[in-house]
Amino acid sequence: MRITVTRTGGFGGLTRRATLRTDGRPDAAELAALARSALAEGRAEPSTGVPDGFHYEIETDDGTTYCADPRLTEAQSALIGKVFREGGTDRG
Amino acid sequence: MTLCHVPYMNAHSAHTCCPRSVNVVFCTIVPPHLLDHLSRSGDPALYEPARRTLERDALQRTRRRITTVRMAAGTGAGPAAEETAGEPAEKKPRRTIFDAGQSEQLPGEKVRSEGEEPVDDASVNRAYAGLGATFDLYLSVFSRYSIDDAGMPLDATVHYGRDYGNAFWDGERMVFGDGDGEVFRDFTLPVDVIGHELTHGVTQHTANLAYFGQSGALNESLSDVFGSLIKQYGLGQTADAADWLIGDTLFTDRVEGTALRSMKAPGTAYDDDVLGKDPQPATMEDYVHTGSDNGGVHINSGIPNHAFYRLATELGGHAWERAGQIWYDTLTSGSLSPDADFAAFAGATVAAAAGRYGEGGAEQEAVLKSWSLVGVTPADA
Repeated sequence: MRITVTRTGGFGGLTRRATLRTDGRPDAAELAALARSALAEGRAEPSTGVPDGFHYEIETDDGTTYCADPRLTEAQSALIGKVFREGGTDRG
Repeated sequence: MTLCHVPYMNAHSAHTCCPRSVNVVFCTIVPPHLLDHLSRSGDPALYEPARRTLERDALQRTRRRITTVRMAAGTGAGPAAEETAGEPAEKKPRRTIFDAGQSEQLPGEKVRSEGEEPVDDASVNRAYAGLGATFDLYLSVFSRYSIDDAGMPLDATVHYGRDYGNAFWDGERMVFGDGDGEVFRDFTLPVDVIGHELTHGVTQHTANLAYFGQSGALNESLSDVFGSLIKQYGLGQTADAADWLIGDTLFTDRVEGTALRSMKAPGTAYDDDVLGKDPQPATMEDYVHTGSDNGGVHINSGIPNHAFYRLATELGGHAWERAGQIWYDTLTSGSLSPDADFAAFAGATVAAAAGRYGEGGAEQEAVLKSWSLVGVTPADA
């Protein structure tokens, strides 16, 4: 499975994108479960969010979902953290 | 890579502003968070004058019955507080700082309340001092009593999230991350960032500009304008002496850039191989149409930011006096609709300038000129 997180907004208004491929990873099943939860708990459309809050778009093979700080669920927060720390990063 | 400019943390430059002697106190232009920092230094040469300055200011403030909190960072509920007991309540801040402990749980653990001594955590003390500096500008210059003009408590949470490179206003409190260590340092470092977040609260309680498109960019710009004024006020700077930078101590040394935004020259704050180039326009000609970032609220804010800079430098002197007053009158006039665009806001500033300084006066002319320079035609207010 491929999981891409795009983060926009924030105080700086900078965009950060990272992709993590779960194939062959020992934690692939755990990541897939996190992704399913994050998708189920997210929104179909982006929200306005709070001033200077980060906005996240999470894309997986199963679909795309949106969420925003400071109201991330545990699964969304864990997944976003994992993808940014361990995935291939593309800032810009 | 450019070394970040770190004016507030440079103890030596602060120290040299006064003669070095046993009874030295720091000049009052030293920002309160620097005093706070110095007062906890291990070097007596640094902490003694800082503590004396904090104590001296607390005493003078009580004597004069003035409402400023600019230097309140290190004052406790000692003799000075007892002295005022039983007298009519002064308009004072009610600050509480919480520590999220790198979690995303709000508000976190309470670590410092109003009047308490500084703690061993610089982020906590910086947030406390920054809230005080912001409260002070709004009260002393604009006679505004806290965020809601009714004495609302000022709450902030520091150490939010893990490697969290951001700060935000959640509708009730300011929230600050420690930075990601790659691009951003601790978000409590620049006082203009603290003032920026608190001003989101002021806007929420006044014009309540919708956080999307041009009204969102105006919301952002107002936070930058008053954030910068809080910094300039603390430093006692005139418009031509100010740097007009937003977040000038936020970037790590790895980043090629001086700040996140420049009100003086939008689009020039950074140019980095990882972050790219500062995308802010200075004029309508370069307005950025995007769906990202709530319609580019942090991008197109460069246009009203630059209009304010132009006005402040045209009028000269302290930016918080006439230029800031016109912007504050506009924000609180009740004439702005939540979906106001740049033209509507510009029209309201023209009306505010005329209302306070006279129709056809130098202030109104300067407002018209500043909007013309950024390509915005004021709508009839």
